[in-house]
Amino acid sequence: MKRIGVVALNTFREAVRDRVLYNLVFFALVMMAAALLVGQISIGIEEIVIVTLGLSAISIIGLLIAVFIGVGLVSKEIDKRTLYALLAKPLRRWEFLTGKFAGLVLTLTLNTAAMAAGLMLALYCVKHALQRGDTLVLVAVYFILLKLALVVALAMLFSCFTTPLLAILFTAGLYVAGLFVHQMRGLQPQLVSPAMAAALRWISYLLPNFENFDVMGAAAHGRGIPGTLVAHNTLYAALYCAMVLGVATAIFSRRNLR
Amino acid sequence: MNLKTMVALILLLPLGFAGVWNLQKRIDVQQSALEAEDDQMMLRSSKLVKVMSLEYAPLVADIYWTRVVQYFGNKHAGQQLDLRLLWPLLDITTTLDPQLMPVYHFGSMFLSDAPPRGAGRPDLAVQLIERGVRANPEHWRLYYDLGFVYYFDMKDYLKASAAFYEGSKNPKALIWMKVMAAKIAAEGSSVGTSLFLWQDVYNTTRDPQVKENALTHLQLLRAQEDCKQIDGLAEQYRQRFGRRTTRITELVQAGLLQGTPVDPLGYPYILSEDGKAELNSESPLMEKQVLVSPQK
Repeated sequence: MKRIGVVALNTFREAVRDRVLYNLVFFALVMMAAALLVGQISIGIEEIVIVTLGLSAISIIGLLIAVFIGVGLVSKEIDKRTLYALLAKPLRRWEFLTGKFAGLVLTLTLNTAAMAAGLMLALYCVKHALQRGDTLVLVAVYFILLKLALVVALAMLFSCFTTPLLAILFTAGLYVAGLFVHQMRGLQPQLVSPAMAAALRWISYLLPNFENFDVMGAAAHGRGIPGTLVAHNTLYAALYCAMVLGVATAIFSRRNLR
Repeated sequence: MNLKTMVALILLLPLGFAGVWNLQKRIDVQQSALEAEDDQMMLRSSKLVKVMSLEYAPLVADIYWTRVVQYFGNKHAGQQLDLRLLWPLLDITTTLDPQLMPVYHFGSMFLSDAPPRGAGRPDLAVQLIERGVRANPEHWRLYYDLGFVYYFDMKDYLKASAAFYEGSKNPKALIWMKVMAAKIAAEGSSVGTSLFLWQDVYNTTRDPQVKENALTHLQLLRAQEDCKQIDGLAEQYRQRFGRRTTRITELVQAGLLQGTPVDPLGYPYILSEDGKAELNSESPLMEKQVLVSPQK
């Protein structure tokens, strides 16, 4: 456990050294511009747009970090040959992967928390007060974080057996596919054969369902998010991440690093 | 780079930017001539836009709504009556985010208002609000908007009353929804009802343009009521003196009025050639009356 913690902390330090957190400045600028502009050019959506824009920015920035840095977590270590030095120490491959995963999730958590604080501040500036319903925004942020953890796991899985470019493409492709899971299940029988419909239905349950984490609309319109959904999504993300990391470990353990 | 080159560059840069500025202005003129009256929507399929928006549909809906406001505002400012993109834009916006309530409220106003104020399509306004009701059955205010369109724009008082009544069934609805339903069912159109509805718009909206529009309607409705009362007094004058008067001062001298009555903007009313009370030609309300029918 200690060894995982050391890898995680180093991954976090490395990300900070790579100036990953600079995106916070960009986020702050976007939020300020939105808060100032939207009131002038639109009607009735000042608060809604702060929430949707803020959550979208958190999601997009987080996704970029999760995919690009997630893919590089393993491949960079191999390219720079620093992995050999690491594995020569009493560090198992699964500990290395888990540590890397935890390190990037820690970076994303810090990043997302800072952006969420900025979002709440922008919301406060527009509304001049924060209400109980605004905590829904924080739930939406938490769901984004769960989604990002899943994306990091997938990016790491692909980077274990393919090139960085392909790993990015696979991760992005799976992410987009995971946003259309409901459509896959609901295809009309007239459009596809029964066998294809059944196959798609099967696949739809195996794919990571990123629609689960999409509560942006509910948060923007102050619609309640049930506590059971929070619990189920947390479990879903944890279980899926564990499975993906398990497969990644299996592949990585068999990989010949010569 | 030596000092001389650096200084020369610093001096030349403003000149370069001035040239770019000037050139851009000329290009803008040519581009605007090319784009004049060329309203375009790249994507008209709301479903396709929704699919392409991925999980960011609520944000894209906000952007589309801002585009609606800008489109309507620009057309309004340019006094252009062709608002054919208004409905497709609203359709996409509500498909992307069916819970975006301002779209139903303001969008129905944009659609239902008669030209030159709006698109003159109350049928589409009804369609838009009904879509909102289907997606948000708990929002009683949508029934209010529906009743508003039926009452003012379609003059269908039966449907207006039904809309207010349907909305009043919501436990959160204000009590006057039921009162409105009964009042419209009994009286049809009346100044009192119109005053109440516009007063509510005035009190509840935060948008300055909508507030100003509501105020204009309220002022015109009050002027209409004033004129009706003055007409009644003029009739009394005719009965007492056996002739019609064309001067307000004569009503004052006869003791029927305590002073010269003024419209909500402070301009005195006048009597026309046939003895009917009307707005003073100098009153700004006169111009507004041309744009807005007095009942609305």
